Amino acid sequence: MSTLQGYVDRRVLLILQDGRAIVGTMAGFDQKSNVVLSDSKERVYSLEEGVEEIPLGLYLVKGDMIVLIGEIDEAIDSSVDLSTIRAEPIPPIRY
Amino acid sequence: MDPSSGIQEPFDLIRLSLSERVFVKLRGDREITGILHAYDGHMNLILSDVEETIMLVDVEGAPEGQVNVAKRKMEMLFVRGDGVILVSPPSRT
Amino acid sequence: MLIFSVFKTLTDQQVTVELKNDLSITGVLKSVDQFLNIRLDNIKVSDEARHPHMMDVKNCFIRGSVVRYVQLSAENVDTQLLEDATRREAMNQVKR
Repeated sequence: MSTLQGYVDRRVLLILQDGRAIVGTMAGFDQKSNVVLSDSKERVYSLEEGVEEIPLGLYLVKGDMIVLIGEIDEAIDSSVDLSTIRAEPIPPIRY
Repeated sequence: MDPSSGIQEPFDLIRLSLSERVFVKLRGDREITGILHAYDGHMNLILSDVEETIMLVDVEGAPEGQVNVAKRKMEMLFVRGDGVILVSPPSRT
Repeated sequence: MLIFSVFKTLTDQQVTVELKNDLSITGVLKSVDQFLNIRLDNIKVSDEARHPHMMDVKNCFIRGSVVRYVQLSAENVDTQLLEDATRREAMNQVKR
């Protein structure tokens, strides 16, 4: 599992099995792709209102729960006004 | 068991279907047909000239119990084995 | 092992990964490991209007276990080579 090394200390988006989206700074990971995020927030999407960010602080996510880890382009991220974005939540994983 | 057919175990059936069009039933009410080029022990598959059919049940606005289908084509497709329910060799189109 | 090798030959090619949560992500395959975890660069989510969640994401790591399909370009795949390699691997399974 060499492939997570490049994400350490970067702002990342985690998408979880239940459809949650969490952003944070990747503080570390291990070979089971368990991930520790610092300064993390959950982004809650809905069609009724803009994206709500709920602060979570230091967060450990079990590798089994992770669907995807994306590196956030901070230039794009800071240019986006989350309060204007309306979208359905990401569906949960169905096997 | 019929020794002349060369089929001793289930995977032999898939091996003998290489380069033939197969029918694959998948989880999530999906079916695909395609030409089988590779597989492994997890039933991961690689197929070409693929047509996927998704059965959509309970579509909004559709009469109760009616099944709608969505079809799409893909030229080359890897299918992860954990979604495979069955692989059936040619004959059926 | 066979499929892992196939994916390794596809690095730097554009692929579309469809996940079990119905998200489809197109990008350049940068790496793959033995669990078929996938690294994609330069990604684009299909139907971005419906799924704006990843608009600020430029590359990503996808867990192999959540992949439903990977759409490949036919020109990048030597089907004869694949079939031969598959038969060879099947033979080795029997011998063991």
